[in-house]
Amino acid sequence: MHAVTLDASRPTDTATQSFSAVAEDLLDDVYGYLLYLTKNWALAEDLTSETFETALRRWKRFDPRRGTHRSWLLAIARSTALDRFRADARRKRREERAEAGAARDAEEHVFGEGFSPELEEGLRALTAGEREVVALRIVLDLSSEEAAGLLGITPTAVSTRLHRALGKLEERMRHHDVA
Amino acid sequence: MTSPDLIHELKATRPAAPTALRARVREIAAEKATPRASFWPQLRLPVRRIALVAVPAAAAVAIASAGVLGLARSDGEVAVLRDRAGTNESFEKSVPQAATPETLQGNLSQDSAIAPDLGRAQRVSATLTVEVADSDGVSQAAQKALTLTESLGGHVVSANVSTGDEGSAALTVRIPVAKVQDAIVQLSALGRIVSQQVTIDDLQATLDTLEQRERSVRAQIALVTTRLETESLDASTRARLESRLQTLRAELRQLQRDTAATSAEARMATIQLSVVTPGVLGAVPVPSRLDRTLDEALNVLLWEGVVALAIVIVAAPFALLLLAMWLGRRFYRRREEDRLLAT
Repeated sequence: MHAVTLDASRPTDTATQSFSAVAEDLLDDVYGYLLYLTKNWALAEDLTSETFETALRRWKRFDPRRGTHRSWLLAIARSTALDRFRADARRKRREERAEAGAARDAEEHVFGEGFSPELEEGLRALTAGEREVVALRIVLDLSSEEAAGLLGITPTAVSTRLHRALGKLEERMRHHDVA
Repeated sequence: MTSPDLIHELKATRPAAPTALRARVREIAAEKATPRASFWPQLRLPVRRIALVAVPAAAAVAIASAGVLGLARSDGEVAVLRDRAGTNESFEKSVPQAATPETLQGNLSQDSAIAPDLGRAQRVSATLTVEVADSDGVSQAAQKALTLTESLGGHVVSANVSTGDEGSAALTVRIPVAKVQDAIVQLSALGRIVSQQVTIDDLQATLDTLEQRERSVRAQIALVTTRLETESLDASTRARLESRLQTLRAELRQLQRDTAATSAEARMATIQLSVVTPGVLGAVPVPSRLDRTLDEALNVLLWEGVVALAIVIVAAPFALLLLAMWLGRRFYRRREEDRLLAT
């Protein structure tokens, strides 16, 4: 299902790249980030598509002086995901008011292939905020400043959140090993 | 598992987009970008970029309009300024040699409508300032004024003449009241009249009072003298009357002095004459067109600043309200995001 990676080396992030090239180059980053954020591959795929649709509409407004293509796309991805979370939260509230929401809680959250069971379980135990900082700093290798700019917090807060998330993940996986 | 192992595993399991998603994104990228239907999609510019253009543009418009208005208004200002300052051309035509007594007589008759009434005792004083071309003109004018004073039967009270780059003369002369009109006319002819003031105070009532009192005192002296000469008085009464007589004679002498002084005051008019050159007078030349334009432009700019300040004052509460709403909305969204990401 997964694991298709482009062989082409990553081109330089410049304003002269076409949207197709940028999308091709950064698709994995956007998808990976959204997968960590949502812990659901299906939802991550949907949001990735939405992200690139939005990015295409806003392509002419991209300003290279304000950041890289990756930061720009990740910011759109985050905004798209948060919009989805809001919509879900509103839907859940409506369903709870209608006393019909219990069944939806059983919604399946699956990371997908490539994750060990203990890593997946550990990641699932993290909050979305913790998972996204792990994704940005560890998986996508963004700098503290880049991640801070994206999340709207200080670099120190990013480090703190990452440290807490890794500690929690480590603890969870150690517990899994013992079990 | 240690942290390095964990980080290694996380990096090793970096998710890759599935083939189907990649194909979908390629389709999206292949589409021509179709901007959302918006009334003004192209007008969305960054605030800083707008400010970068708008602020200098507004300043340029303000300065340009001030310049245009200043230029337009500087024309209308000329007549007023010339009236206020007196023109250089008029000065050149009214240097002492060029000014004719007839002309000045006409001016004088217009300017000094009041004239002394020779049938009454009056204190007449005049202050006159005439302007001559240069320092030599000052000396000549002062000399003529002294000669004129003597010829009219008057005398000089004080004279102060200074020559140099900016010469000036200050003369105080006394002229018989009957000839004061002639004196003013001829003194005015010494140069261009800059200012002229004639003051007349009536002294007749004072003189009448003095004379009336003098007659009364004289009558009392005659009465007392008659009693002392004709009546047989006791010693104390005689002493009292003699004392009274001495007081009345002293008062009579004082009254005579006062009457003489008042009469003298009424006989001679005092004229203070100042002869100046343009530099001493500090004549204000009519400013150039450029100066007037700059002056008017600065006035317009000042008014523009006042209007801008008024707009800022009026708009500030609304701006603060909008800022508070924006900050509140941002805070709310941040809290909501934290809540959403906490699950």
